[in-house]
Amino acid sequence: MRSIDLMVKDLQQLVRNWMTPVFLVAMPIGFTLFFGMIFSGAGGQSDPRLPVAFVDQDNGSVLSTHLLDLLEASDAIRPVASDESVDRVERKVGKDMAAAVIVPAGYSERVLAGEDVPLTVVADGGTAAGSTAQTAIQAAAVRLRGAVKAAQLSAEALEAQGQAADESFLMGALDEAIAAWRQLPLTVVATQSRAAVEKEEKPSVMATRYGQASPGMMVQFSIAGIMGAAQILVLERKSRSLQRLLTTAISRVEIIVGHYLTMFVMILAQLAVLISFGQLLGVNYMREPVAVLLLAVTMALWTASLGLLIGTLARTEEQAIIFSLIPMFVLSALGGAWMPLEVTGKAFQTVGHLLPTAWAMDGIQNIIVRGLGLESALLPAGIMLAYAVVLFALAAWRFKFE
Amino acid sequence: MKVLDIALKDLRRFLRNYFFLGLGIGVPVLVGAIFYFAFGGLASDGRFNLPQIDVVVVNLDEPVAAYGNFSAGEMLADFLKSEELGGLLAVTESNSAATARAAVDRQEADVAIIIPADLSAAMFDPQGRAVIEVYHDPTLTIGPGIVKSIVTQFVDALTGSRIAASIAYAQLAKRGVTVDGTTIQNIAMRYGEWSASLAEGQGAGTLLTVRSPAGSKEQGNRLLAMIGGIMASMIIFYAFYAGAASALTILQEKEDGTLPRLSTTPTPMSAILGGKLIAVFALIIVQVSVLMAFSSLVFKTTWGAPGPMLLAIVGLVVLAGSFGIFVMSWLRDTRQAGIVLGGVMTVVGMVGISSVFTGTVPGAGGGIAATLPLFTPHGWALRAWRLAMDGGGIGDVLLPLVVMLALTAVFFSIGVLRFRKRLGGH
Repeated sequence: MRSIDLMVKDLQQLVRNWMTPVFLVAMPIGFTLFFGMIFSGAGGQSDPRLPVAFVDQDNGSVLSTHLLDLLEASDAIRPVASDESVDRVERKVGKDMAAAVIVPAGYSERVLAGEDVPLTVVADGGTAAGSTAQTAIQAAAVRLRGAVKAAQLSAEALEAQGQAADESFLMGALDEAIAAWRQLPLTVVATQSRAAVEKEEKPSVMATRYGQASPGMMVQFSIAGIMGAAQILVLERKSRSLQRLLTTAISRVEIIVGHYLTMFVMILAQLAVLISFGQLLGVNYMREPVAVLLLAVTMALWTASLGLLIGTLARTEEQAIIFSLIPMFVLSALGGAWMPLEVTGKAFQTVGHLLPTAWAMDGIQNIIVRGLGLESALLPAGIMLAYAVVLFALAAWRFKFE
Repeated sequence: MKVLDIALKDLRRFLRNYFFLGLGIGVPVLVGAIFYFAFGGLASDGRFNLPQIDVVVVNLDEPVAAYGNFSAGEMLADFLKSEELGGLLAVTESNSAATARAAVDRQEADVAIIIPADLSAAMFDPQGRAVIEVYHDPTLTIGPGIVKSIVTQFVDALTGSRIAASIAYAQLAKRGVTVDGTTIQNIAMRYGEWSASLAEGQGAGTLLTVRSPAGSKEQGNRLLAMIGGIMASMIIFYAFYAGAASALTILQEKEDGTLPRLSTTPTPMSAILGGKLIAVFALIIVQVSVLMAFSSLVFKTTWGAPGPMLLAIVGLVVLAGSFGIFVMSWLRDTRQAGIVLGGVMTVVGMVGISSVFTGTVPGAGGGIAATLPLFTPHGWALRAWRLAMDGGGIGDVLLPLVVMLALTAVFFSIGVLRFRKRLGGH
């Protein structure tokens, strides 16, 4: 009971400072929105495909028109017709445009005459956007030239039968071939694991947009949140309040537990707000409420243990800040809170998964993105719990009252 | 001389302070090292190597007996297991689509490719349709994208053969010519040969001439440039921290009573304040120099031409220092400093340097992501640094420099006026 009293006092002290909710809630919400927006293709454009400048120096010829059609059909890029000079368009590549495709003058006539005339593509193949655009343009170019080849083979077959293949025959065959390429008999379809198909749930755009930013900022700012509580502990030690407490009926264990509970409740409340906010954004945390609760509780437990350890080790308020910020940066980055671990190397991923933050990300994303059930939260929760026990034991062992 | 004595005293105090050493030097080095480790540090050739993609292939395709047991599914499975894709894909096979999907759900595999039973049949049936499924973990984007692209290229070759054959059949029929199976097969084969020659690279240059936009970097250099960009952003981010933390000593000394004591000596308050302000700027110069030297030695960062870079450094030092003085001048006491250092500086700083991270994400570099950082002083500092690092000349960094100096004048004037008013003295 005395631990609870101590916790209530600590919480009152924290809440009285108007900066606390700003730091605990407003900042992570702001960053979730910011990163969610920019990592979903900047500003939520209605067409999320990569923009590719299309410069037609062949003036709307048969093949350039068909190429534009095929590029329009791509699910990776969207052509943006441009009348600007090649130099100006080229300067936009890597900034406003992922790539540029230039159809040279006389392209259609020469290709239909059997010449090999390449399209010019300006793309930075070293960037994800550039290489994606380049692959999509190449696919469209293969299909265009494939259609020409099909028309030419038809013409040859007709001539082999003793009939002349005039231009109208060639154009008719070409039109048919292009139409066939736009209605593919064999297709490749990407589907996502259960989140997308279970219970006829549609793949949530919001889950995609905020599926990284929402749990990522939650993980990062839960660690940042312990800073204030750790500072209170330092302040109480410096002002000898902790020593004075020992002269009362409250036991040492109750004091430690009281401070631990403060951090736990504070982080749990922070997570509850952030989860609710994520839900409002369309991230479906509530599809598995028990799993999310389990993950939030274990996350709050291990983070509170870390906070208690920081409050124990720090001798000054400055130390409490730095001892909080360093783990916040390191654990967030290595745990995949800033960027998906997919984009890092294997060794980085392995190191990341030695940390509770990576497991917190895995656990939450198992629910909100992968669409898995309670069982998928058990291992991440278990690992976070183990961290909580070890860190709490360390903090209790090193806890100083003076 | 008293001004310099005070500045030197403050500087010495800071350089002995582990808080500054940890936050001002240690953390930026740590974050730079994490990114170096994440993206390039472990690659033997200095390039980023994408981890192998774990793929489960389920080939349900049934060979077509009428066409010599032709099996498109087997061809695709063999292609995916081929040596040329060995470095990219780690392929295992499964007989069941459900098992393969479950492996992806359990994160034991990144992607499952499910080849349908009717793939080969669809090749020969004019009305036939078949769908190859690339089932993937939704948290992954790069790996599944690559796999889909590989499978699509293969399928396009098959599709093209079918289209060529069916177009020839239909077009010749319109001219009243009925072609036999051998002719159709021959057309499909000739298309296949043409497609294979493209795939082998013999004819790829006939389709596209690809060139990089002016100013783009080679991949090895790109990694170094990326790490350099991250280090520049860290230097800027923590220079502002250092500016604020060092300006905090003015409040600290006031609370500790050393400032009032100093004011009883013949030293004018303007000299005391001046000394402290010099210490703020000197500290940032030391910090920036140490971090740049470290980054050059360890991460092989190149900083561009000396002239523009020097201007960018000067801009950063004066701006970060004056911003620190400005922010601290609004605090009542040092107790508010923790929140300001940990909160306000973090938020403003993260927004200001966010373009370093968003610029690498497809489609995320423009719009609000490009504009928002320019509402922070950090954003202008980063712009000047990146222009200098990208090989820009003095003319290129002039605009951000002018903005930085204007901001400096505003922050410095307000900050110093407020401190003078609060500290009083002569």
